[in-house]
Amino acid sequence: MQKPLGPAISVKGLTREYVTRNFFGGVARTTSALSGIDFEVANGELFGLIGPNGAGKTTTIKILTTLLTPTGGDARILGLDVRKDLYEIRRRIGIVFGGERGLYNRVSAVDNLRYFSDLYGVDSSVARKRIPELLEVVGLSDRAQEKVEKYSRGMKQRLHIAKALVHDPELIFLDEPTIGLDPGGARDIRNMVRDLKAQGKTILLTTHYMFEAEELCQRIAVISKGKIVALDTPSELKNMVRDISVIELRTFEATMDYVEALRKLPNVVRVVADLDSEQQTIRVQTPLGADLLPKVTAALPAGARIIDRTIKEPTLEDAYLRLVEE
Amino acid sequence: MHELTPGKQTQGRVGRVIQVLRASVFLTSKLFFADPQWLIPNIIAPFIFTLVAFFLFSGQTSGSSFLLYLVLGSGLMGMWGTTIYASANSIGFDRWNGTMESTLAAPIPLSWIALGRVLFNTLQGVLNAVFILVIGLVWFRVGFTLVNPPAFFFASIMTFLSLSAFGLLMTTILLLSRKGGFITNSMEIPVYIATGTMFPVILLPVVYLPFAFMLAPTWGIEAIRLAALPGYVGLPTTYTVDMTIMVAETFAYLALAFFLFKRVEAYAKKMGTLEEY
Repeated sequence: MQKPLGPAISVKGLTREYVTRNFFGGVARTTSALSGIDFEVANGELFGLIGPNGAGKTTTIKILTTLLTPTGGDARILGLDVRKDLYEIRRRIGIVFGGERGLYNRVSAVDNLRYFSDLYGVDSSVARKRIPELLEVVGLSDRAQEKVEKYSRGMKQRLHIAKALVHDPELIFLDEPTIGLDPGGARDIRNMVRDLKAQGKTILLTTHYMFEAEELCQRIAVISKGKIVALDTPSELKNMVRDISVIELRTFEATMDYVEALRKLPNVVRVVADLDSEQQTIRVQTPLGADLLPKVTAALPAGARIIDRTIKEPTLEDAYLRLVEE
Repeated sequence: MHELTPGKQTQGRVGRVIQVLRASVFLTSKLFFADPQWLIPNIIAPFIFTLVAFFLFSGQTSGSSFLLYLVLGSGLMGMWGTTIYASANSIGFDRWNGTMESTLAAPIPLSWIALGRVLFNTLQGVLNAVFILVIGLVWFRVGFTLVNPPAFFFASIMTFLSLSAFGLLMTTILLLSRKGGFITNSMEIPVYIATGTMFPVILLPVVYLPFAFMLAPTWGIEAIRLAALPGYVGLPTTYTVDMTIMVAETFAYLALAFFLFKRVEAYAKKMGTLEEY
């Protein structure tokens, strides 16, 4: 299949509204999930779409994969119209849904792949060779005949990737492919994504993990409340928060009260805390850098300790938080 | 990553449709036998059905012809019940299992995937009917002497296909709404009555007859009984007329089902309700 001359994905003024009807069929409420978004993804590019829950990521993916009709605007996949050219688009794209969805758990991995290869029209003689090859690639060869319900979450996710590749697509949509995986499983998936990129596949990735987007994506669109609020390379996005630095604290027995006290300090832009572990991590964004440290230490309540403190450059997550909160 | 065999596509529309039907039948059968509960609707329920029917009627009449009438009726009831139950669940299962999006994302109309599932589900019904027949033949020693065996088998196959077509039509309701199971489940008993599985349809009040005549299985059952039972008196029609009407109605069901699939799929995509459960 020859690659199109234009972009792999082209989105212009895309909108999607959901209408809730009342008992009598009248419109009770209209919710706007996408409010006229624009972006393009080049052939062979690994493009990220990040945003908080309900921002419009999944709606965008559903429209681009022809599972949902847009209410306005234009979206083209490999030069084809998402409203008119459904089957041609579906034949040329692969979709990886995150989580446990999308597999038949009571049958084996081979049965799943055989079924989907038939649905995607893969020639039977090709499928007979390609399915074992894919299982080898995703590291499931030795468990290929087992029922999927016995698989771990990571194994299921690897099978999802094999399923998305069974018909050799040009463009792959990865919707939160590492969600809920342990660090080892997530690393395996990220390595597979890198391999796919190296093969020249175009990839659109959505993720909640900023380090993952930063590590993998060439460009990232940040979506918030149905609008794209920034679109650039990871380094350019980080440049948006060059005016601040981050004090990263590792603390012992720090509570939410300490976090609130930090938020009230002058020149503190934002405080992000992970208080769930035995040792807490607190990130304080400030334009003052190390000059704020005495006040940060002074605010510490009795009984709590700072184990470690570091002044860091802002990360993509810092940029992301600023963008989605603006 | 290893070098993979390029994903060459199957050529030709007919080849694609056969490939999808085969895949759908194959997967549905695997899922069916993977769940041990398949024994309940296919072996245990028909056994109870047949027992009740025999104890109700066998003391009141004599002659193997009536008993065969009973066995055929029970078999068709079982077949219909399994068809409608399983057809209603064929798409509902995907909603519940989280595979609706994956199925819909395939580059083939959903109607072909659903047809494969309904075909296997109707085949389950045949298994059910055969089991009832075996109970009748072995346990109750019903004589299985047919008036015209080739006509009987032909009518049985065509009735099987007409049930599949009706099942496909029912599936469209489930595609439209997750609450569609209520409608398809409520169809079970009225159709038992209207198609005359346990008594001649001519005994129904006149107001019900138009509904009965719109159901292809009504004509299929008539044709099967004419071909199986000596001296059977049912509707004032011949075997050929029954078969012709059944085939015509089956095609009408298929045409309507494919049309509705297209419309319902587009509507559900517009409303964003396809994968809701």
